[in-house]
Amino acid sequence: MDATTKASILHEMIRRMGAGGANITTSDWLDFVQAQNDDYKTGPAIGEKVPQFALADQNGQTRTLNDLMGTNGLLLVFSRSADW
Amino acid sequence: MLQRFAQAYGIEYPMLSDVGSKVIREFGILNTNIPADHPMLYGIPFPGDYLISPDGVVRDKLFLSNYEHRPSASQISMRNGADAKANSVELTTDVLSATISLSTDRCFPGQEVGVGLVVRIKPDWHVYGEPLPKSYQSTAVQFEGPLVDEFSFEMPPAKSMLLKAVNETLPVYEGEIRATGKLGIKWSPPIPAKFLEPLGPPIEPGLHHLEGTFRFQACSDQLCQPPQTVRFKLPLKIEKGIPAPPKKSG
Repeated sequence: MDATTKASILHEMIRRMGAGGANITTSDWLDFVQAQNDDYKTGPAIGEKVPQFALADQNGQTRTLNDLMGTNGLLLVFSRSADW
Repeated sequence: MLQRFAQAYGIEYPMLSDVGSKVIREFGILNTNIPADHPMLYGIPFPGDYLISPDGVVRDKLFLSNYEHRPSASQISMRNGADAKANSVELTTDVLSATISLSTDRCFPGQEVGVGLVVRIKPDWHVYGEPLPKSYQSTAVQFEGPLVDEFSFEMPPAKSMLLKAVNETLPVYEGEIRATGKLGIKWSPPIPAKFLEPLGPPIEPGLHHLEGTFRFQACSDQLCQPPQTVRFKLPLKIEKGIPAPPKKSG
């Protein structure tokens, strides 16, 4: 899928969902999913060091990789949203 | 917002807010399919898990090709050595015993769980790896039924053995062998929608049973048992797609 097609599918789906979702077909949905999955990237390879970070947690406290690290390691999960 | 989310779902582990997707970009997993002017989706990552060792190095990672499917945390533990005793079944014959386990006893539709296999073969007996001539049965686990989406399994490398009785050199396993695999549970829409109905019947939350088969053929130096297919079932509780947040107290 080229970038313009993806952009148009992604905009259109949200527009239709916002309008109540009446005109969405199964094939629209599958295109919407595919447009997001296309050419997915997975980041640092096994054996590579991860970037350092410092981000606020749900209590407003800044956490870094070192703060979060356990004795045996850290499971870091990236999820798409906690908002929707 | 994350604080409300954490409280609503009783989450105690740290949840980090990646404002502006800075860290997502640094990790190289920004979903670049999404145009910058998208009102809802811009800034999201390709979802996945990293197991990071204390020296900051990626030890294992799980990213699935469809964002509707997610790895389970239990799966990463199982792949990295933890024995899954919680959800397993033991199959025994006169010459071997096999333990087949899932990394968890509950999951959401669309999650991928880990599968473990341990086979303990009696001395002087062996089972087969691949590739094999047609007349022999290799060693394999398979899952089937409406819950199963994708399944992949990797047996460890077999060793070559000259079987004197038949004068053939074949790949075999002896003693104790361990293998792991990945089982993707079918995705089910968390909220029913007409346009999703053609994708298949929704999976009802609750206790299900995963059905599978363990195939093998055991031989000794002198004789071969016929190939065997042993059926098994493992319980799996499928959680409701969007769990209701616990009621606020007070």
